Amino acid sequence: MQLGRLSQPYLLILPSFLMAAFIVLWPLGELVQIATHEVNRFGQLRDFTGLANFAVLASDADFLATILRTLIWTVGVVGGTLIVSLPVALILNDDFYGRSVARVIVMLPWAVSLTMTAIVWRWALSGENGMMNSGLADLGLIHTNIQWLAQAETAFPVQIAIGILVSIPFTVTIFLGGLSSISDELYDAAAIEGAGRLAQFRFITLPLLKPFVNIALVLNTIYVFNSFPIIWAMTQGGPANSTDIMVTYLYKLAFRWGKLGEASAVSLLMFAVLITFTLVYLRISQRDEAEA
Amino acid sequence: MSKLQRSILYWLLLSPLVVLVIFPFAVMFITAVKPATEVLQPSWWPSAPHWGNFVEMWQAAGFGPALVNSLYTAVVSTLLALAVSIPAAYGLSRYRFAGRGAVKQFLLISQMLSPIVLVLGLFRLAAALGLVDNLNAVVFIYAAFNIAFSVWMLQSYFATIPLDLEEAAWMEGASRAKTLRIVFLPLAIPAIVVTAIFTFINAWNEFVIALTMLRRQESYTLPIQIFSLVAGRYTVEWHYVMAAAFVATVPVAIVFAWLQRYLVRGLALGAVK
Repeated sequence: MQLGRLSQPYLLILPSFLMAAFIVLWPLGELVQIATHEVNRFGQLRDFTGLANFAVLASDADFLATILRTLIWTVGVVGGTLIVSLPVALILNDDFYGRSVARVIVMLPWAVSLTMTAIVWRWALSGENGMMNSGLADLGLIHTNIQWLAQAETAFPVQIAIGILVSIPFTVTIFLGGLSSISDELYDAAAIEGAGRLAQFRFITLPLLKPFVNIALVLNTIYVFNSFPIIWAMTQGGPANSTDIMVTYLYKLAFRWGKLGEASAVSLLMFAVLITFTLVYLRISQRDEAEA
Repeated sequence: MSKLQRSILYWLLLSPLVVLVIFPFAVMFITAVKPATEVLQPSWWPSAPHWGNFVEMWQAAGFGPALVNSLYTAVVSTLLALAVSIPAAYGLSRYRFAGRGAVKQFLLISQMLSPIVLVLGLFRLAAALGLVDNLNAVVFIYAAFNIAFSVWMLQSYFATIPLDLEEAAWMEGASRAKTLRIVFLPLAIPAIVVTAIFTFINAWNEFVIALTMLRRQESYTLPIQIFSLVAGRYTVEWHYVMAAAFVATVPVAIVFAWLQRYLVRGLALGAVK
């Protein structure tokens, strides 16, 4: 009976643990095997080749360009998201007419699948008959159609902008949670001491919001680094791999070009980066917990 | 500054964002009601709304079977995820035991791993088991990837349900199982429903697993079906695609907009506890 009682929580947790572990560890084992072997395009393993697949990647100019683009993509989307989300959260935290409507509108992109969002934008940005071009022309802002997605110079920035747009709701949500945890008494006390709104923002809001900014930073970095549908559904990394990031390149390596060894190597590299991000996240959230 | 002045200022500041958020919905809707002959013309508004697109796309865009597949995968994977997550969340919120912290950290880490990184390994696994193109394999993968999120949400809510009531029931001599059924579960139902809806939406919107695992059109879910109407084609019937996207998106968006504050609360509680 005593033993039964002790084992109860473990029995309750076991099924979920096994399922979650299986779906991560088994594929991971497969990836390690493929990445360290010579493999044909039908997926049959040949000889053990150690790190040869990683070496091929290191000399693949397209892949190296993809790493740089992944960096621009991640920094651009995450940075842009944080910069836009902070003032939006401050506004939504304040009292004004129509606030609940504004909140719903800001949250809307979160509710739509990224695939659908990307497909709609792809159509809206179509060069010949997209509604973006006709709308801008109607407003007199442009006179010739812009080929938004046919060239990397416009396609990639547009994709980053859409990435920012769909990341704002989650980030604003975290910031609103942080803002609501700051007690009004602090602001009242500061006001009595003669602090203006700017000083209050700088010495109360910003420092107390910092843990939430950190969490939003790390979580967004993880999500954006992994984000596949926006680029895949809009350009599939084209034209000529010029909008590829690591996830889309990985997908092409695996399912279009049949280079399974290199694709597995990319997966493992990304896995290592993600684990690093996650450990950073754990460190930050634990440190904040200790401070709180 | 009066409240009215502040409101005007705030709405002005928010207006660029509001326009960018509404724009895709407008594009979806306007294109969906354009007659076929006007879709490729550079005019914003249709000469007369053609509501028939919503009916025609059912056949033309293969909407019906994809809708059934999407409903099946989303519903069954949600039920499966809940069936294993509810006991786990109860265990985490009601017992103190060795390894509790480790389990929570494992959940957190597995939540960070997006399927895209593992997709090739998952495909090999499915191929080895002969489960490519099998909706049930997709169901299992969705459920497994949603466990971390479900357990996290559920246990943060469960922790807010006071123990007193359960303790009172134990005093009265009720067994742990009976207490669970009669006292705890009724109180936990709102949390379970909210978690179920978000798990459902995750599965409903998922892209890369379905794109990889489902190879024949008969097994496509909605995102893949609609994507297949657009990808690598010279002529895209955009009015049907947008009508299909609209019907696939708007009901879910409304439910989400209605429930998002619970998500906020759950995530915030989970982050603090």
